[in-house]
Amino acid sequence: MFGVQKEWHAVASWTWNAQDETCGICRMAFDGCCPDCKLPGDDCPLIWGACNHAFHLHCILKWVNSQTSQAHCPMCRREWQFKG
Amino acid sequence: MEESTSFFCNLGVLDSLSDDGVQEILNTYAQFSAATQALLNGIGRLSLRSEFVAHVQSLCKHGLESLILNHFLRSLQENFEINGASEFWRHFDAYENIAILNTSNLPHSEEEVREVLCKALEEISSKKKCQEEFLSILVHALQSSRYDLMEKGRQYDSETEVVRLFAKYQLLVSSVLMATLPRHFPDLLHWYFKGKLEELSAIMAGELNEDYKFQCKDDMELDGKGRISSKSGQKDFNECYQLEKFSNIDKLVKSIGKVVLDLRNLGFTSMAEDAYASAIFSLLKAKVDSLADDDYRSSVLEPIKEWIKAVPLHFLHSLLAYLGNSAGNNSPFHSLKSSLAPCASSFNSGVDTPEGLIRWQSRLEYFAYETLQDLRIAKLFEIIVDYPDSSPAIEDLKQCLEYTGQHSKLVESFISALRYRLLTAGASTNDILHQYVSTIKALRTIDSAGVFLEAVGEPIREYLRGRKDTIKCIVTMLTDGTGGNSNVSGNTGDSLLEELNRDEEGQENVGIDDDFHADDKQAWINASRWEPDPVEADPLKGGRTRRKVDILGMLVSIIGSKDQLVNEYRVMLAEKLLNKSDYDIDSEIRTLELLKIHFGESSMQKCEIMLNDLIDSKRTNSNIKATINLPSQTAVDLKESVISMNDLDATIISSNFWPPIQDENINLPASVDHLLTDYAQRFNEIKTPRKLQWKKNLGTVKLELQFEDRELQFSVAPVHAVIIMQFQHKKSWSARSLAAAVGVPVDVLSRRINFWVNKGILSESRTADSTDHVYVLVESMIDTSKNVSNNGNNEDLMVGEDEGEGSVASVEDQIRKEMTVYEKFILGMLTNFGSMALDRIHNTLKMFCVADPSYDKSIQQLQSFLSGLVSEEKLELRDGMYLLKK
Repeated sequence: MFGVQKEWHAVASWTWNAQDETCGICRMAFDGCCPDCKLPGDDCPLIWGACNHAFHLHCILKWVNSQTSQAHCPMCRREWQFKG
Repeated sequence: MEESTSFFCNLGVLDSLSDDGVQEILNTYAQFSAATQALLNGIGRLSLRSEFVAHVQSLCKHGLESLILNHFLRSLQENFEINGASEFWRHFDAYENIAILNTSNLPHSEEEVREVLCKALEEISSKKKCQEEFLSILVHALQSSRYDLMEKGRQYDSETEVVRLFAKYQLLVSSVLMATLPRHFPDLLHWYFKGKLEELSAIMAGELNEDYKFQCKDDMELDGKGRISSKSGQKDFNECYQLEKFSNIDKLVKSIGKVVLDLRNLGFTSMAEDAYASAIFSLLKAKVDSLADDDYRSSVLEPIKEWIKAVPLHFLHSLLAYLGNSAGNNSPFHSLKSSLAPCASSFNSGVDTPEGLIRWQSRLEYFAYETLQDLRIAKLFEIIVDYPDSSPAIEDLKQCLEYTGQHSKLVESFISALRYRLLTAGASTNDILHQYVSTIKALRTIDSAGVFLEAVGEPIREYLRGRKDTIKCIVTMLTDGTGGNSNVSGNTGDSLLEELNRDEEGQENVGIDDDFHADDKQAWINASRWEPDPVEADPLKGGRTRRKVDILGMLVSIIGSKDQLVNEYRVMLAEKLLNKSDYDIDSEIRTLELLKIHFGESSMQKCEIMLNDLIDSKRTNSNIKATINLPSQTAVDLKESVISMNDLDATIISSNFWPPIQDENINLPASVDHLLTDYAQRFNEIKTPRKLQWKKNLGTVKLELQFEDRELQFSVAPVHAVIIMQFQHKKSWSARSLAAAVGVPVDVLSRRINFWVNKGILSESRTADSTDHVYVLVESMIDTSKNVSNNGNNEDLMVGEDEGEGSVASVEDQIRKEMTVYEKFILGMLTNFGSMALDRIHNTLKMFCVADPSYDKSIQQLQSFLSGLVSEEKLELRDGMYLLKK
């Protein structure tokens, strides 16, 4: 017998390459999306701070905008800087 | 005794009576009695009459008028009993049994009965007329004597007395007849009318069929000869048929009318009416039965109504007309009749106004509606089974029910039919659901408020809740055109959901319309269109909400909540999407959109993400493949199984939103593994910081297997592909080593590998010394048997690891192995005897194989072994005889 695989349709799942499972702000899974979004993935990306903590982009933006003075990382209280 | 009677009447006269006077009275009375007797017996009429009158007058002079009357009436009664009634009934004695059995359809005896009935009626009528004549003689005598005695002022009074007297006589006659009425007489009447009416309707229907026409005419001719002398006998049938038909009908009606009239004169008015009414009704019932039949594709209500107008009403019209005419010019008791029989009044009035006829029409129509309704209700289950085709029948039923209002009958009978025929273990859930949907649709037309539907649907829902696969079936039915039911042909690709949506759109358009014109006028129209819920409505279940029957809602109510249904749909959708080898999800998107309309967007959120994943995957997939810059080094490495990046596609899912996916790891072929790694890497580059995790056991692989003698295409799961690829280099694998190579547990392997075994690509066998399986590649179809017997011992197998797997199969294997001992015996036998039947082989083996391995197998075991030999082409089976294959 001689077999040929003509087409291989594989299945994969994607995941954020983050250390944590859930967003520290909304407590939703990173692989899911923030409460304001409907579609996960590109539409609701993660963002890392200089402190290496990751959040949903929308969540941390909301947090940063709500702070009157300089915003801090919700996890480690360090000054929030977007990672380069 | 006579004196005592007279005593009461003429107290004053009594004193003046002398002995002579008494004697004279007694003599006259005796003479009067004798004359009466003679008169009634009909002897020597003329002289007797004057004599009789003289006696009456002389007795009257003594004031014995009432005595005379009483005596005369009594003698009339006695005479009528003896001569009239008993004679009359004697005519029908012969038919007692026939009438009771009521099954005899011999035309001859039927004919005879009719003739006898007519004759008997004629006889008794003439008898009655005769007696009435005598009565009027008496009355005249009485009147004249009274005229002599009294002043003229009392003349008027005596006029009413005469009427009363005749009424008394009439009552007397009918009571005599009623008292002696034999039980079978009403049956006989019914029978008579039925026969006549059948004849009539045959004539009416005769227009259609020429042959039938002639037959009818022959019948008519017989009839005509029988009673109405010989008028119709010599007519030429071929000319002027129409005219003759009418004259025939006329004649027939007249003959019936005469019978009715005679019966009525005898006081059988209501009985006669009952008889022909019941005859009409049974004829109508037969007509409805024959028209309604088992064909639900056409409406029968209109034809039935037309028939009612054409036959029974036509008949009644002419009958009433005839009766009215003869009643007018015939009887002096015109006014009596109504007092004797109140039913008769309708006939009399029927002459001038068709009021009676209208009453008949509504009566007949109601009966027809009821009959049809009963028929349809009894067959409702079948009607609903072929619902869209049978909608005319449903429409009929609806009209009938509107008329009769017996909805509860429908509910009861249909529920019992459902219980008996549908809600059984034998019915598949799909069938039940389809029937449920058809029921909803059908009953929705009958009763738009859904009250009865509620009652009927409850048992079905109750039952379906007890079935495990209900949700699954509902979901397949909703999303898949065939409803998961392969038996249903035709409406493929048209899911229930879409159908529902079309309905919905129709309904909603109406709703929108209503809203649009929601001015006062429209509101008033809506308000005036309001109808109260039927009486049967359950007040506990909200009234206004059930206005619109929502099929989907009713389906969901089986399950209990829509969440369960949505969940089930999600699982099915996941299954479907994961097994897709392309990214074509148009139909799924459409279904999802429809579901969103019904269940709301939020509950379908996850499903939407799943579909979105597919769309994204398609984009990402082409993106990755376009930008990946790998030399086709993998193809070079593995020359034989060429698979390049072009052949690889991937579905990338957001696993959080998919139902839990079972993850089995398998060892993919190296080339594929390489490709996957490259792919994941590229994905990571494009979509940092996201990465891929392969679900290696999921997906589809298109394979092409090339054998010595054939080429096969398969579209399989990766596990199957991996398994079969292992046989590329090594034709035979033990289960365990194969499992290790594939990277799955042995039990999983043996489950998966069955796919190839069933396809005949691999064969499964057992080594002599172990319970382990050996799988061998079947290179060509012809090799099958050789491979099984040869390769068994070649493998060096590990022993004793997969116990308890397929125990049934191993028992069979054992028996087969033991049987092989007898193969030589059987072959030898057949060489000697040529051909042998199964039991002879069995008996011979039993007889001769007593020694070491004694033959102890059953005949069934032998048979299966022999058929094994036949399939190995060692033996041949011809007409139940086994013989050696040459």
